Amino acid sequence: MSFVVQDIAKTFGGQKVLESVSLSVEKGEFVALLGPSGSGKTTLLNIIAGLTQPDGGRLEIDGEDITRLPSGARRFGMVFQSYALFRHMTVADNIAFGLRVLPRAQRPGRAARAEKVKALLELVEMPELGNRYPAQLSGGQRQRVAMARALAIDPRLLLLDEPFSALDAKVRQSLRSSVRSLQKKVGVSAILVTHDQAEAWALADRVAVMNRGRIEQFDTPEMLRGAPATSFVADFLGIDMLER
Amino acid sequence: MSLRQRLLIGLAVLFALIAIVAPVAAILTRAFGDGLGAWWSAIVEPETLHAIWLTVLTALIVLPINIVFGIAAAWAIARFRFPGRRALLILIEIPFAVSPVIAGLCFLLIYGAYGPVGAPLMNEGIQLMFNLTGIVLVSLFVTCPFVMREVLPVLQVTGEDEEKAALTLGANGWQIFRHVTLPNILWALVHGAILATARAMGEFGAVSVVSGAVRGQTMTLPLQVELLYNDYNTTGAFAAATVLTALALVTLMLRSAIAAVHPEAGGRT
Repeated sequence: MSFVVQDIAKTFGGQKVLESVSLSVEKGEFVALLGPSGSGKTTLLNIIAGLTQPDGGRLEIDGEDITRLPSGARRFGMVFQSYALFRHMTVADNIAFGLRVLPRAQRPGRAARAEKVKALLELVEMPELGNRYPAQLSGGQRQRVAMARALAIDPRLLLLDEPFSALDAKVRQSLRSSVRSLQKKVGVSAILVTHDQAEAWALADRVAVMNRGRIEQFDTPEMLRGAPATSFVADFLGIDMLER
Repeated sequence: MSLRQRLLIGLAVLFALIAIVAPVAAILTRAFGDGLGAWWSAIVEPETLHAIWLTVLTALIVLPINIVFGIAAAWAIARFRFPGRRALLILIEIPFAVSPVIAGLCFLLIYGAYGPVGAPLMNEGIQLMFNLTGIVLVSLFVTCPFVMREVLPVLQVTGEDEEKAALTLGANGWQIFRHVTLPNILWALVHGAILATARAMGEFGAVSVVSGAVRGQTMTLPLQVELLYNDYNTTGAFAAATVLTALALVTLMLRSAIAAVHPEAGGRT
């Protein structure tokens, strides 16, 4: 699986939010979109997810053009900042949702769905909590349910929108490593949106630093810190250009 | 308890007695004044039975239309930004502000036999006023804000992310509505529907203008009560009124039962 973002542009009410953004994600790679608020990173993620239509540019997965494909047909698992769990459904029903709404011909039977939910609950280390409701879970547990729900559709790409921002610092630390190991175990490519450098360094193979609707630099954390391409990148990462 | 508190509570109780308890008690004493048998024979009077039937029928027709329209309007206003959105919001509230009698007259002017819409239809043999259609139309007018008003605030604060999540998981529009949106708004919807139904059954002014008050044909319960009263048939009038009161009390009890189980739906009116 390889995913390509090509020259994506978006204007909201006369304001350019994204200008010709290009990006690529290799198979199994973890990419972070890092930038201050208003840099366009969430808009880019929404365009990738199919929740927002771009004004121009192209999205491609394994050579297939998916720019105009409806969100649901893309099979991208998304974890929302608020987690957006279905509050009136149990954890198990939340996770099974993506399977339950499949067309009848493709939908796995009840037993197969239960099996899959069980496996995912074990994967996120909450095997006992399938009958709980979201309101009865801690923040960290909710995040893991959101992960499991996104993974249930065997996503071609995992999209994470600030998935740690609602958690306190301690839980955040431990969940970071569990998200990374989960992503590796499943072998899915992932795109993370964050404004927190530490998060990007801890999780991502490559980081795209965004500013005012453009990608300033797209590189490994080592290269970003060793050779910032623009003064914005240096400033944002807190590197003193003169000292180098 | 201080004197001031006692005084305030006393005033509140007194007000409730004068404004609510006394009239209801009066209805009941007058209705049952000549005995249960007289009450029963007044109820089973064909004209009164027909009025009950017409009132319930109107409410049953108006209810589903109100639900569909209310959800659609609330959804559009909560989820989309479009030209005319604010105008729509104000437009839907007009029935709250306009006197029902005026509304009835407007309907008569437009849909009546000499109105711009009514006249051409009349030539085709379709009559809109002075029958069930007219009653349903004005009832729709006076009740259309209720469901939207209850559902809108719930939609505005909840569920948008959940709907997006469902979309990324492959659900289609109907599945999103059925499994995600509807459960979130259900109690607000029921609450709005109850209020709308109570209003539809109790409406007098607008209905009296467009129904034409044809005895035994286009009389709803409120109209029938007035008719009987004007005929000096006090027992009949109050017996019919007990039915209307009972319908209202049932809706009220339903409403408070819902408020007890789901406080988030019952707080507003």
